[in-house]
Amino acid sequence: MAITILPPVVEDVAPYHADSDDSMSGADSDSDVEMSGVSRPNKKPRTGDGKISSGIVTPGEIVTADPKWMRGHGTYMNPLSTSIIATVAGKVQQTNKLLSVHPLRARYIPEIGDLVVGRIVEVQSKRWKVDVAAPLLAQLPLSAINLPGGILRRRTSADELQIRTFFSEGDLVVAEVQSVHQDGSASLHTRSLKYGKLRNGVFLAVTGTGGSGASSSSVKGGVGSGSGSSAAAASSGTGGGVVRSRRQVWTHTTANGGGEVDIILGVNGYIWISKHADGAEAVSSTTENVSITRMEEMVSSSIYSSQNDDVPPQTRREIARLTQCVRVLVQGGVRVDEDTLTDSYEASLQVDLEVGDDDEEEEYGQEGREYLEGAKARRILELTMQRK
Amino acid sequence: MSNQRQASSASQTPHLSPAELSYLYTSLSLPKSPIRPDGRSPTQFRPLTAESNILPGTNGSARIGFADGTQAIVGVKAEVEKTVLSTDTLASSEGGEGEDSTSTSNSAAASGHGSWVQMSIEIPGFRDDDALPVFLSEMMRESLVGSVADGGSDGGGDGGGDGDVTMAGGLKGRLVINKRWHWRLYIDVLLLSQPLSYPLPLLSLTTHLALLSTKLPKLKSQGEEDPFFDDDWEVAEYLYPRSSNLKAAGNASQYVRPPVTLLVVSVGENIIFDPSREEIAVADAVLAISVTRDTEAGNLKLLSIRTVDPPSRLTQPAVPNSENVNMLGATAPTEDIAVLNPATGEEEVPGVWRPRRGGVKRSVIANMVKTVLKKGGVGEEVLEGLEGVEVE
Repeated sequence: MAITILPPVVEDVAPYHADSDDSMSGADSDSDVEMSGVSRPNKKPRTGDGKISSGIVTPGEIVTADPKWMRGHGTYMNPLSTSIIATVAGKVQQTNKLLSVHPLRARYIPEIGDLVVGRIVEVQSKRWKVDVAAPLLAQLPLSAINLPGGILRRRTSADELQIRTFFSEGDLVVAEVQSVHQDGSASLHTRSLKYGKLRNGVFLAVTGTGGSGASSSSVKGGVGSGSGSSAAAASSGTGGGVVRSRRQVWTHTTANGGGEVDIILGVNGYIWISKHADGAEAVSSTTENVSITRMEEMVSSSIYSSQNDDVPPQTRREIARLTQCVRVLVQGGVRVDEDTLTDSYEASLQVDLEVGDDDEEEEYGQEGREYLEGAKARRILELTMQRK
Repeated sequence: MSNQRQASSASQTPHLSPAELSYLYTSLSLPKSPIRPDGRSPTQFRPLTAESNILPGTNGSARIGFADGTQAIVGVKAEVEKTVLSTDTLASSEGGEGEDSTSTSNSAAASGHGSWVQMSIEIPGFRDDDALPVFLSEMMRESLVGSVADGGSDGGGDGGGDGDVTMAGGLKGRLVINKRWHWRLYIDVLLLSQPLSYPLPLLSLTTHLALLSTKLPKLKSQGEEDPFFDDDWEVAEYLYPRSSNLKAAGNASQYVRPPVTLLVVSVGENIIFDPSREEIAVADAVLAISVTRDTEAGNLKLLSIRTVDPPSRLTQPAVPNSENVNMLGATAPTEDIAVLNPATGEEEVPGVWRPRRGGVKRSVIANMVKTVLKKGGVGEEVLEGLEGVEVE
């Protein structure tokens, strides 16, 4: 079947109002706060005895007019009034007397030491401007990259002239945040052999509070059930996205003859999945006689290559599978890290086996069986959550 | 914001690095079994959600959401309008309505006129007179009013009111009430989200669904009287007669359907349906193929093929390692052997992205059309799928 048409899922709408109506009264049980000042046009009157504290407010909406609350992040207060107004769309959170709004989607806020994947959007005379899904473009100075030639040397005007041969517009780089400026913009560096230009793989961007991107802006009905995904979201707390964790880069050994695959989870929500590149091996495959002392030099110069190695179809399939696993996780509102991604990969293999067993029509079985989103996504999510 | 301007070429082209483009292209052009980034088979569509009759104030409406989060709403409104007769029509209309004499002259009164269908498309971030909305609406309107069945150019004239199931004269003929009156259709297409990929297939499918659900009030007057209609909305008739009403009468494939425009891309020798944004970005050719179901024999009929400017030709080429100044001394000289790409006939170094210069082989184009049109092919499955969407 080439096309699947699902009936619309009546998600969000009905349960959503119920949630938002009881936004804070559940959390605040010790005091009898009258939320009469809360303006919610065309909604039913508040009951005030609910338990759910996951109300969603939109920018401009008055969170409360009661002067006893203090305003926190994501809110502002008109100097002439006492009402607290939300500035972002998100959930209201209450910490003692402090009311803050935690955004549903936010841009990445750089911090020193973060591993990020970025895309070069602008080349200037001595630096690059890099999109890292932060509010401002990050900068990558020419002085913060490893210049080819192995030994650390001073940069010259020749390097400035051929700046585009290192990175040019559109290129993807993996880098580390070196410093964060006053205005929140970041400076990056790639002064390590593990950083540099990315190739031999695919890029995808996930949203969430970690990062931001187009790949999963709002997936309606992609994952069949609203209830299943919201349950998953609740378990992970703040929703999907990449979070800072112990390991952002690892090598995954894939099934089906796919070999080893490198996964880079940028803290900013940009993800790179590629064929595993064993530095020394890659170099020795292109050049026969390399002395061991020049090895490092070889590796460092190959980080500016934009030519892909030969990636066998099996590896490409497994890379596609991993890509989908990330998407499934994000759609389910599960945060993406090494554990969840590995689990969901294993789950997807298991789902494939299950489907393969009860496939009567061989023809349809083959057709599009590698597509994991849609019907299979729910099962994968279930299995992933079980493993936790 | 600057990305939106680019959308007039084929889509909002994402900036992809040459390495990504090369990887995508090689994956998609693997002979026989392309590997799409999301694991779909070449003819597989992403699941979509659809519902119709969602706007009570319209004659017919639909909403479709694609899996990538783009959504569109279409509303169809109909209005009775007096047919403006030109003098020669008046003169020739006396000659009888079964004769060819009418069709040679301006026979708008009998066979309808293309301008009776108005379409407006609204896409966020674009002005009404930007190239993309104008181009899209004309592309869709053209196949809509052009989908005339092969039957006589007239006949819709007297059959229009009383449930003419064969719909001679296509949509235009169906809009004729009598010689002096006709329906005017307003089709308003609204894209609710940013155009993440080329929005044509989404808008076309939604329009198709809205037209399927469109009802016109039942005509009570007869012949050349001024029209007046039955107040009862229950007895209103579908603009496109539904097979469900006449299930006993014959199989569903006997009825005329609104056209559907499908976006098909070719990468190498492979043909890929429902391309995602990344897939469009590396395509050799992007075609918009409009098909409809013909009255006769229930076959699919090709209405139009439009080529859409593929964004891949604007991309940056990659530098092969042998020419990369940063790699000097690192690679063995002239190890890369250029090979001939069978699809485009250009010499390429494997793993190095070269912008597509356009041009595909005729066999590829023929294959694309065949995949859409053939019995049990993609076109048929899409039409069947949309038919299955519950009206009401």
